[in-house]
Amino acid sequence: MDKKYGVYICTGCGIGDALDTKALCDVPDEEGLPCKTHQMFCGEEGLEVIKKDIADGTNTLVIAACSRRVNYDTFRYDGCIVERVNLREGVVWSHQRSEFPALTDEEKEDEDNFDRVQLMAEDYIKMGMARVEKVTLPEPYVVENFSKKILVIGGGMTGMSAALDASATGYEVTIVEKEAALGGHANNWRKQLPVAEPFEDLISPVVGAKIAAVQADSNITVKTGTQVARIAGQPGEFTVTFKQPGDKLEYDVPFPLPDEMKVDETGKELDVDKLAEKYAEYNEGKKDILTLDPDGELYGAVILAAGWRPAKIEGDEYAHLSYGESPDVITNAEFEILAKNGKVTRPSDGKAAKSVVFIQSPGKGDEDGDFEFAGAVTSLVSLKQAKYVREDYEDGKAFVFYQHMRTPGLNENFYKSIQQDPGIFLTKGDVISVSRNGDGLIVDANNTLLGEKLQVKADLVVLAAGMVPATADNPVVNMAYRQGPAFRDIGLFKGYVDSNFICFPYETQRTGIYAAGAVRRSMTVEEAVEDASGAALKAIQCLESVNRGVSVHPRSGDMTFPDFFFQRCTQCKRCTEECPFGALDDDEKGTPKPNPTRCRRCGTCMGACPERIIGFADYSIDSIGSQVKAIGVPSEDDYAEPPMRVLGLVCENDAYPALDIAGLNRLSYSADVRFIPVRCLGSVNVIWIKDALSQGMDGVFLLGCKHGDDYQCHFVKGSELAEIRMKKIGDALASLALEEERVAQFQIAIDEYDKIPQIVNEFVASIEEMGPNPFKGF
Amino acid sequence: MAESYLVEPDVGFIKDLAKLGGQDLKKCFQCATCSVACPISPDNKPFPRKEMIATSWGLKDKVLGSADIWLCHNCGDCTTLCPRGAKPGDVLAALRAYAVTQYAAIKPLAKAVQDPKQLPILMAIPVAIFLILGFILNLAVPSISWLNFAPVGDHLWQSDYINNYLVDIIMIPTLAFAVISFGLGLKNFVADIHANALASGKTDKKTIDPAGFVRSLIRTVPTIIKHAKFNECGENKDRSTSHMMVLFSFVGLFIVTNCFFIAEWVLHIEGPYSQWSPVKWLGNVSGVALIVGGALMVKKRMDNSDSVTSYWDWSLLGLVLTLGLTGMLTEMFRLGGLFGISAIIYAFHLIAVWSLFAYTPYSKLAHLVYRTTAMVYQEYIEKD
Repeated sequence: MDKKYGVYICTGCGIGDALDTKALCDVPDEEGLPCKTHQMFCGEEGLEVIKKDIADGTNTLVIAACSRRVNYDTFRYDGCIVERVNLREGVVWSHQRSEFPALTDEEKEDEDNFDRVQLMAEDYIKMGMARVEKVTLPEPYVVENFSKKILVIGGGMTGMSAALDASATGYEVTIVEKEAALGGHANNWRKQLPVAEPFEDLISPVVGAKIAAVQADSNITVKTGTQVARIAGQPGEFTVTFKQPGDKLEYDVPFPLPDEMKVDETGKELDVDKLAEKYAEYNEGKKDILTLDPDGELYGAVILAAGWRPAKIEGDEYAHLSYGESPDVITNAEFEILAKNGKVTRPSDGKAAKSVVFIQSPGKGDEDGDFEFAGAVTSLVSLKQAKYVREDYEDGKAFVFYQHMRTPGLNENFYKSIQQDPGIFLTKGDVISVSRNGDGLIVDANNTLLGEKLQVKADLVVLAAGMVPATADNPVVNMAYRQGPAFRDIGLFKGYVDSNFICFPYETQRTGIYAAGAVRRSMTVEEAVEDASGAALKAIQCLESVNRGVSVHPRSGDMTFPDFFFQRCTQCKRCTEECPFGALDDDEKGTPKPNPTRCRRCGTCMGACPERIIGFADYSIDSIGSQVKAIGVPSEDDYAEPPMRVLGLVCENDAYPALDIAGLNRLSYSADVRFIPVRCLGSVNVIWIKDALSQGMDGVFLLGCKHGDDYQCHFVKGSELAEIRMKKIGDALASLALEEERVAQFQIAIDEYDKIPQIVNEFVASIEEMGPNPFKGF
Repeated sequence: MAESYLVEPDVGFIKDLAKLGGQDLKKCFQCATCSVACPISPDNKPFPRKEMIATSWGLKDKVLGSADIWLCHNCGDCTTLCPRGAKPGDVLAALRAYAVTQYAAIKPLAKAVQDPKQLPILMAIPVAIFLILGFILNLAVPSISWLNFAPVGDHLWQSDYINNYLVDIIMIPTLAFAVISFGLGLKNFVADIHANALASGKTDKKTIDPAGFVRSLIRTVPTIIKHAKFNECGENKDRSTSHMMVLFSFVGLFIVTNCFFIAEWVLHIEGPYSQWSPVKWLGNVSGVALIVGGALMVKKRMDNSDSVTSYWDWSLLGLVLTLGLTGMLTEMFRLGGLFGISAIIYAFHLIAVWSLFAYTPYSKLAHLVYRTTAMVYQEYIEKD
């Protein structure tokens, strides 16, 4: 593409009042680029100016006006490269003239005086111009064997609902169920929690009707007694091999070598050939992940609805509950089967169980936690099962001891109706012990709502065991990915399948595989059915993005994808290992094999690559590096007292919006900082920081999402990886005799815009204290 | 902390309370808004939250023996503010009704008073007593006209039909019956509330000092007379007016009755007494106040959709209005010269008066004694 440039400087929204726009136009003028100004480029007349230029051949535009986060569609020109220079929120709104006065005519005469805000605006225009020079228009990546079919793993309530939803919108679906029949756990229930208004009474299980609907649906193929042996390839063209449970196939998924097998006796890491040998040995009889099963079936997207199993109650921490010791202490799942088979009786002697105690939290001691993997659903199930006792016996009594009684949404109505039963007794309390009392049991509890130590005689005690996601025991999805067949355990999800529970439900850490139901968290049928719709829509979104060669999520519609300059690859595997989404596989030599439709376009690989051979059409080492180099670094040659120059690399997802909102609220911060938005802090390559410092900038900071337990990173690990890299850069700085403190990373959430001035100003102040970068001026 | 308490819920108790106006008690979710809202609940161990949970768990023994259920004046602040519609005020009222049965000397009688189906029998008892005793005495002591269905004369009054001596002969033992009933009930009641207060840590006094108790009684009487507790209520504050009218008219009428009793038995002055007599004035004013107060109470109950009004409440209100109306009408018809009608209404009046005496320890009116006792007890453990 031959680039024909045009620079457009808007003078509206206070830009023209605060800045010398004529002087700004000198910046493109010096480079020989045409520059136009208008008091309102987003208005009809202003847009006309731009459109006319585009009609005359201009295809590379630098629009210096408001933030790129506003007027998004107004300044979108297909087929053109557009850079938005943020003069409004980023310069004039956040640096009011009342605080940063312009130079008077008198001051202008002295060349040692400078106008910080004007310098800032000029730099941003230069940076914008530098970027458009380096980027190209993206072209879509198209998969070769696109399939529009959806695979649903799990034939329980969730899986069947997802299949029906997807089918209703016209997609072909296959359900695989490892058991011999559809229905899953719902087949074992006496009654079901309400799923519709008025949410008051138990209903008969709806699973039968659901199975009938699935069987009647011509878009749905059901494979019972079947498992997934492996899912190979990438979204849009997953090659899936099925098998009977227990079978051993050559297309069973291979597992990565455990860490202890990657080293020799002395603890040194094995070389590539040795590793490949070990790997082949470890996975003997299995085809490598890169070999596609010629008999495999093609699917475009996968919905994972593998469900749950009842948690086991074992270990010393539960010893006081006599589970396993007394046959009359059982779990909720065991109670359900008992109730399904007839009246509620004591397992020990078959006598009627007329006094049943439901224990929601293990109690004993200061802990008020529930059983593991419990949730609102276990609260609701205890209420449901309490009702069974009352249904079976006119004089039956059911006691529920809880620490948390969770009945979200309209389930509150169900709670109320249960409460009204004169034979059901609910209280918060610490359960101290369950012990033998004659031929029955006695439950001791403290700190109850009745305000004292209580004892209740019980025929039967029911423990609220949680719902363990199927993925905690088994990969289930068996992905032929170099990072392994399971979802990566990042130590936060306890086997649940999620990438970001709050922000991106249904998204797993693998693009094209969407989770619903109890693999995401313990939930009721009602919630699972709703979840199924969500996951089905995500699967459809995936298909309808992959077919156009654009990214699914969270950079929905992004046509770029990582491009590798393989000639210079050193097979260090950092990209393969660091990719949060397992998008890269590698061959036996370690050369990465990209799977573009698995990619979420965060650029973590680009940030990781020490050879800097990874880039996107519009976002590369060079494009950002050139922006860094375009920043003016005044030295003593320019002014007697030159200002500091600090680079801020800012996550565009949360931190950059926070900066904009700070500007919108006229919060001001140092004018000596230059911000460059990045896709994710994970994409920050240390070369940019080294470049900035070696050109004399005094400090660099990264501003991005929180990481750790409550991480907010859109790409799971980006900000955390950046932090690790920043720690490592300290050594490099030391070798240059630069203080480590010149590079820092700060965390911010999108709503913490009010913290921006403090973060920025404190960092600049700390740099000022250290003094200027000694490389300045060289 | 105290010993473990073995919980054995009494489901029947919960169901019984539902019939007495406590049908919403299970809706409570223990937020304690009621205890915070209650203007007269003590700071230490406030009610009615703890009563709500104990009741919804069917812990009959724990809750019935508590003085707290009687400290409540049923002003309804808690019921209005309850976020769940559990109506704590009505639950306490139902508990009091249940407690009256619990402490009743003759439990079947208390049950009958709570059962609308038994009303005809309860009303038939005084009729039978009057008729049987009247006829017997007519035969045994013919010198006195005990019961006369057709007296003659220009100026007749009710005593010519139903002799005042017959009335007094019946009423005095009836009153004694009520007093004894209360005495027996109170003995258990005081023992229970004291045990309960000890167990829940409200007091550390092992025994009750009678002198201290009397001192507390003396300090409590002004509170009752001034309706000080009623006036602390937020909602339904105006209840204190009607209650005051009814209470004071009962006191007035009691004084009047005693005056005439003395006039008849001691001074041997035969009625009817002059309309100019101050005692008569007091009687008439009290009679009117009783009717007006009773009518206000009925109106209040009908207007208040928050609270439940059960047979337990209506039966007492009915009795109050019957007493007032039959009393005043008897007098008015007598003054108007319609002696026969006057006598018939008087018969109804006597039935009402007898019921008032005989059934008080078994009806809602028993609060007169139990609440007073509970208030005195609370005063005693707090201040004495």
